[in-house]
Amino acid sequence: MKIDPSFIWTAFIQLLSAIPTTLVITAVSVSVGFIIGVITALFRLYRVPVLSQLSTAYVTFIRGTPMLTHLLLIYFGLPVILDGLSSWFGWGFKSASIPMIAFAFISFSITAGAYMSEVIRSGLLAVNRGQIEAAYSVGMTTSQALRRIVFPQALAVSLPNLSNSAIGMLHGSTLAFTVSVVDINAKAQIVASTNWKFFEAYLAAAVIFWGLTVLIERLTARLEKRIQIYNRGGVA
Amino acid sequence: MIQLRHISKSFGRQQVLKSIDLTVNQGDVVVILGPSGSGKTTLLRCINYLEKPSGGEIAIGDFRLNCGRATKKDIHALRQKSAMVFQQYNLFRHKTALENVMEGLVIVKKQPKEEAKARSIALLEKVGLGSKLDAYPSQLSGGQQQRVGIARALALEPEVILFDEPTSALDPELVGEVLEVIRKIAKEGITMIVVTHEMGFARDVANHAVFMDGGVIVEEGSPAELLYHPREERTKQFLKRITPELNYSI
Amino acid sequence: MGAPFDFSFVIGAFSKLWSMLGVTLLIVGGSLLTGIVVGFLIALPRLYRIPVLEQFSKVYVSFFRGTPILIQLFLFYYGLPELLKLAHLDISRAPVLFFVIWTYGLHTGAFMSETIRASVTAVDRGQVEAAYAIGMKGAQAFTRIVLPQALAVAVPVFSNMVIALLKDTSLAFTLGVMELTGKAQTLGALTQHFIEAYLALALIYLVVSFTLEKLLRAAERRLLKHEQPNGAERRRFRIERKPSIRGMYAGIGAEKGGAKL
Repeated sequence: MKIDPSFIWTAFIQLLSAIPTTLVITAVSVSVGFIIGVITALFRLYRVPVLSQLSTAYVTFIRGTPMLTHLLLIYFGLPVILDGLSSWFGWGFKSASIPMIAFAFISFSITAGAYMSEVIRSGLLAVNRGQIEAAYSVGMTTSQALRRIVFPQALAVSLPNLSNSAIGMLHGSTLAFTVSVVDINAKAQIVASTNWKFFEAYLAAAVIFWGLTVLIERLTARLEKRIQIYNRGGVA
Repeated sequence: MIQLRHISKSFGRQQVLKSIDLTVNQGDVVVILGPSGSGKTTLLRCINYLEKPSGGEIAIGDFRLNCGRATKKDIHALRQKSAMVFQQYNLFRHKTALENVMEGLVIVKKQPKEEAKARSIALLEKVGLGSKLDAYPSQLSGGQQQRVGIARALALEPEVILFDEPTSALDPELVGEVLEVIRKIAKEGITMIVVTHEMGFARDVANHAVFMDGGVIVEEGSPAELLYHPREERTKQFLKRITPELNYSI
Repeated sequence: MGAPFDFSFVIGAFSKLWSMLGVTLLIVGGSLLTGIVVGFLIALPRLYRIPVLEQFSKVYVSFFRGTPILIQLFLFYYGLPELLKLAHLDISRAPVLFFVIWTYGLHTGAFMSETIRASVTAVDRGQVEAAYAIGMKGAQAFTRIVLPQALAVAVPVFSNMVIALLKDTSLAFTLGVMELTGKAQTLGALTQHFIEAYLALALIYLVVSFTLEKLLRAAERRLLKHEQPNGAERRRFRIERKPSIRGMYAGIGAEKGGAKL
């Protein structure tokens, strides 16, 4: 077996068709994860009884276990639960009708939610207590103070970590092959399986992922610059 | 005796020290005054080679060093002749007060631990911190940290102690305790060069005052002379600006 | 799908999986050691600004942080033998575990080097100056003053890295290594009790990462004992957090990107 440089290019071209799948999985898990993250972070910050304990347990469990186990548990567990409920209530719904990619969406969103919960929580904690007091002092309600004063500042602080989470989810989306979703990684395997040029195929895949990661980093840097204008100069 | 000859220093194209000559006799307490950016801190740091002078000659005691061709060994030898007290204290954060003072004795002077410890405790008692031996810097007030810094410098028995604005970072109510300690050791005849903004201290403790501006020594003389009868226009203006009783307009 | 849920299988699977923990820990330990060495080698050119090597370090870090570990595993498994063949080294018969540990090691090295770099730069410049001022030499100042303080800054990040690595090793099964995840899959397929097997798997990871975190937290507390003035007392009187050493970690950014496999 010799390295075949021309096949790297061939593989690269073929892999391009799988980029949308990878990006959709990433986008869905990051967006849903963000919503889960904000909600659970607020539960924990405001010490809402029961819900805050549940949130902590959720975050601890997810962060303490590999993303792969989440996917496997959802893939095998969710149909059992859904079919059970379905026959109990007579919905006439079959878990077999769930598309494979949905498992990836659900499981990865759950994973992302836990990580983002931590990011958002520390971002909110980083906002100076005086900011909220000042908001109250000009007559804002709690929700106004959160929306208009705290969130924008917390977001600016958490941006680098949120971007890291997004990159983590982009890389994590390679796990989708375990539920037969054809993302970039799975496609590389398929492309190479005809001629066993695995190295070339994965090299092409690596280049694509590398490019996408750099792209996310660049976009974040640009966004950070815009969002943090108020932080320019001074001690921050 | 300390002798600086033609010390110059540039940062990029900006010349901060322009051929400075200064002689300090054994047992002198010299204060260096001047507006910020005048080069006084840079000069002090050059004596300890924390800044590398662009040229000139430094002599401490019988050790002479030509800044153009100083080797690592020379620099190391020069540093052993002096000690520094920093504006931001710079105590070793991961070591207790006692360990901070012992560090130089054990590691640099290779003294036996027990001996170093006894000496360090004595010095910390001298600066009034006998009860804080095992406290970490983060558990001490600024004034206490600076007093540990002074004990650390004293421990090495250097030919000269360099003070870089030792009270500038302190809360006003803590300035007194630190100045008191410096005053006390000044009386013991230790040679000191002090960069400071404390005019009262300069007047009462120093026996020689130097005024710097724009990278040169504008004038020098006895503190009383320099503070009350300055000869140079630049000195007069500086003193007018910082002496509150002369300048009430706000 | 599979047999009906049976909780006793979770316990059975747990004890069966527990016996495979050694392989997972071996991968973690081996890659960590490799990663520390690689991390220093990669960090030094950037700390001391050595031309060319510095550029190489940047590209190295960017690549290993910019591509998924799963891709890296395949890349090295298929590519390394070819690459070394050019140097007349035949490792195509080396055990899979060898490739796995190397890949995770090189991967960890990239993150490690960022941690080392960030921690060393986090130590205040004044600390080195003070060390010089009392007459220490460069090496003394580094080992006695900078390193201990940098270590204290690095430990929490390091601890995150170890746990991320533990979780990442769950991918080694894709190359056929029989570690925790691989074993769980086999158990599931054998008994058709997939859910139970994977629940047990998750529990084991949870227990191990929890234990590791506790151990590393204890180490951190020891290294940072100088940063906790008067313990609880201070915490009670302060509403907002002061920008202490702890706060700096957030800014370090060498931590593994948020979600990890």
